[in-house]
Amino acid sequence: MYAWRVTLDLQDYLYPSFSETQTNSTFNCFLFLGDRGGRGGRGGGRGGFGGDRGGRGGGRGGGRGGFGGDRGGRGGGRGGVAKRGGPGRGGARGGRGGARGGAKGGAKVTVEPHRHEGVFIAHGKEDYLLTKNLVPGESVYGEKRIAIEGADGTKVEYRVWNPFRSKVAAGILGGVDNIHIAPGKKVLYLGGASGTTVSHVADIVGPEGLVYAVEFSHRSGRDLINMAKKRTNVIPIIEDARHPHKYRMLVGMVDVIFADVAQPDQSRIVGINAHHFLKNNGHVVISIKANCIDSTVDAATVFAGEIPKLQEQRIKPQEQLTLEPFERDHALVVGKYVRSK
Amino acid sequence: MLVLYETPAGYALFTLLDDGKIEKPDSIWKDFETPEQANKTVKLRAFTKFENTTDALSAVTALVEGKLSKNLKEFLSKEISEKEIKKESLIVGDAKLGGAISKKLNMKVISDSTTLDLYRGIRTQLDSLLSGLSSSDLSAMVLGLSHSLSRYKLKFSPDKVDTMIVQAIALLDDLDKELNTYAMRVKEWYGWHFPEMTKLIIDNLAYAKIVKKMGFRSNCSSTDLSDILPEELEQEVKEASEISMGTEISEEDLENIHALCDQIISITEYRTQLYEYLKNRMNAIAPNLTALVGDLVGARLIAHAGSLMTLAKHPASTIQILGAEKALFRALKTKHDTPKYGLIYHASLIGQAGPKMKGKIARMVATKAALSIRVDALGETDTPDIGIENRGKVEARLRMLEGRSGNNNSSGDRKAAGNAKNQKKHAFVASSSYNTSADVTMTSASESNKRKAESDDESSSKKVKKEKKEKKEEKEEKKEKKEKKEKKEKKAKVEEDVKEEKKEKKEKKEKKEKKEKKEKK
Repeated sequence: MYAWRVTLDLQDYLYPSFSETQTNSTFNCFLFLGDRGGRGGRGGGRGGFGGDRGGRGGGRGGGRGGFGGDRGGRGGGRGGVAKRGGPGRGGARGGRGGARGGAKGGAKVTVEPHRHEGVFIAHGKEDYLLTKNLVPGESVYGEKRIAIEGADGTKVEYRVWNPFRSKVAAGILGGVDNIHIAPGKKVLYLGGASGTTVSHVADIVGPEGLVYAVEFSHRSGRDLINMAKKRTNVIPIIEDARHPHKYRMLVGMVDVIFADVAQPDQSRIVGINAHHFLKNNGHVVISIKANCIDSTVDAATVFAGEIPKLQEQRIKPQEQLTLEPFERDHALVVGKYVRSK
Repeated sequence: MLVLYETPAGYALFTLLDDGKIEKPDSIWKDFETPEQANKTVKLRAFTKFENTTDALSAVTALVEGKLSKNLKEFLSKEISEKEIKKESLIVGDAKLGGAISKKLNMKVISDSTTLDLYRGIRTQLDSLLSGLSSSDLSAMVLGLSHSLSRYKLKFSPDKVDTMIVQAIALLDDLDKELNTYAMRVKEWYGWHFPEMTKLIIDNLAYAKIVKKMGFRSNCSSTDLSDILPEELEQEVKEASEISMGTEISEEDLENIHALCDQIISITEYRTQLYEYLKNRMNAIAPNLTALVGDLVGARLIAHAGSLMTLAKHPASTIQILGAEKALFRALKTKHDTPKYGLIYHASLIGQAGPKMKGKIARMVATKAALSIRVDALGETDTPDIGIENRGKVEARLRMLEGRSGNNNSSGDRKAAGNAKNQKKHAFVASSSYNTSADVTMTSASESNKRKAESDDESSSKKVKKEKKEKKEEKEEKKEKKEKKEKKEKKAKVEEDVKEEKKEKKEKKEKKEKKEKKEKK
């Protein structure tokens, strides 16, 4: 019990800006969840391929109406969506009482699905991004878990997804149009590191999907393997992503490649992996750290320079968004791989 | 035309039914759109299963390295008859493996980029092409194999020896930091009781030992500090203890201070031991680098790069500024001058160079270091030949540069004066650190020689054995006394040296700061 409390405290310490920004700049992300209209002011940096952007935004705005209405009704108690009742765990954590806001024991938390399939949002005192825990009862890197009891008494456990630690989560909160990672999808994850984000991606794709996590560093590969032991839909590969032929026998065709490799030649790395393993018309999601490619010019120039490099690799960029305020000088680029028409 | 396809379950050999298709890689994907089409394009000719996971692991590790494993060779020579080997050609996914196969089996092998689309096609329709293998079986095997492969990789990681160095140097730095804070603390704490001693004894270990030995300062006059301190200093401490203006402390306070002193003493001991270990490791792993830049700088370079192999892959220009990344990127961004040196600055070769020459010498040391590292990482020899040779070269160049700058400056009076001063100071620094240690050993050695000679004379003059024995005993006593004295002298000298060095350091620091201020202005 003590250990649990300590991790909680640590978490609170780690995430202070999470709750802060929520009330400031990303307020709209939580309340309107990617409502494009509200983000117009920030659009300057994202004009890259945006000829059709206005039209698209309009179209989606209409679809979103239902969502807003849904939320309006929440105040009156959403019968179906369960409340967080922790008879067992609430007792264990009772000592903390209502010291802080957030999803604490006894606090009423409602969970509802996010626009992206497999991702959920918790509404309590604070709002959190969640994924459904594939291995109930265990945290991967000390993140908080929220257990929800359904109407029929079945318990579902979710894990809180911190956008400051995960670029995918940051992208989702930033309002990316389509993250392409969804239940049942096969994902090639380049730059898996310790497997924190990989575990959430594994949660999203679920038991039907598959995540191939490639990581070169032995130190973080160790943690990745340990994480993968618990999740059978993660295939850990300790190999240099520059040489996809070295893991050609392990990886099948995939729907999406997510890359967070932070290398100067990352577009090329993604390209050769796509040539080997990505389905025709599959998608590529790349997190670009401007400093890793060229630290002498400003971030926008770097991002603009990466686009033709991707096009060279037959990747058609579709969307670009900055990961502010979660990461500085990072961009998430979503593209479509068109090998043959 | 045959196609070799590796799966986690085993090797598969396909026949490409229409050989012309490989010439048109851009349209081959159409032939794999549906399972039926795929089955018309390629046909499974043979499939061999790995017997167990160890078998699979060894096969796949060979594949990863691009080697032709035994069972693959058997499989291929069994399935492809002698006749076919001459006629047919084999498509292989990896160029390196392809090369190995064509060499060993004398077969025509295609393994260039044109095969990529064919492999994509097979990978897409693998389930239907491998009729005997269910997809769930395959995915289980992928999972098992990937785990065992990754575990194998971590277990037999080639740079595990370097990690020892990386950790050791990190610990050494940590210990130094810790020791310093502890020593400061004990000085501060005990300083309330005996403030005068803080000024008198600068060496941290000696301070801790004295506190441990004498306890309250009132015991000072009665304790023998001769094995810790030189005589004069001991006298000074004793005098200071008589007239100290420190406060009184209780027995309990002293106990706690003693506990802290124990920590300092034990950590210092451990630090020397660790340094010895690091030195040995560096000499074993990177002898040439150690010979060139010293063990500490060498270890720091390895730690910064992550491993010796990655360091060997760095160009000399990177090695030169390793550790000065912040300054480098700042300079690049603001378009200012990039830094001249990073970690390498602490190498003795660069320390020897004059301030104007430091950049030049750093560049040269970096190039030579790059060569030495590559020899260490990839070479066969264990001797530091190249490192020593390189060191000689850099030293020669340093002498040449200094000589030239001296000549140049002699024309301008003021400059020459300034430079001469620098050089003088320089020479002084080098000689002081070098000579003293050498002197001490020299004198002790010569003295003992003399003594031997004397004893020989004496023994030869008096031939009675008994007397000899007695004499010997006497001599031994004398010897002991002499040695003790020598030790004391040595200590005093060392202490003085330390003081001098510290003074010099201070001066240097002040000068530096002044310079920086000037530059800023």
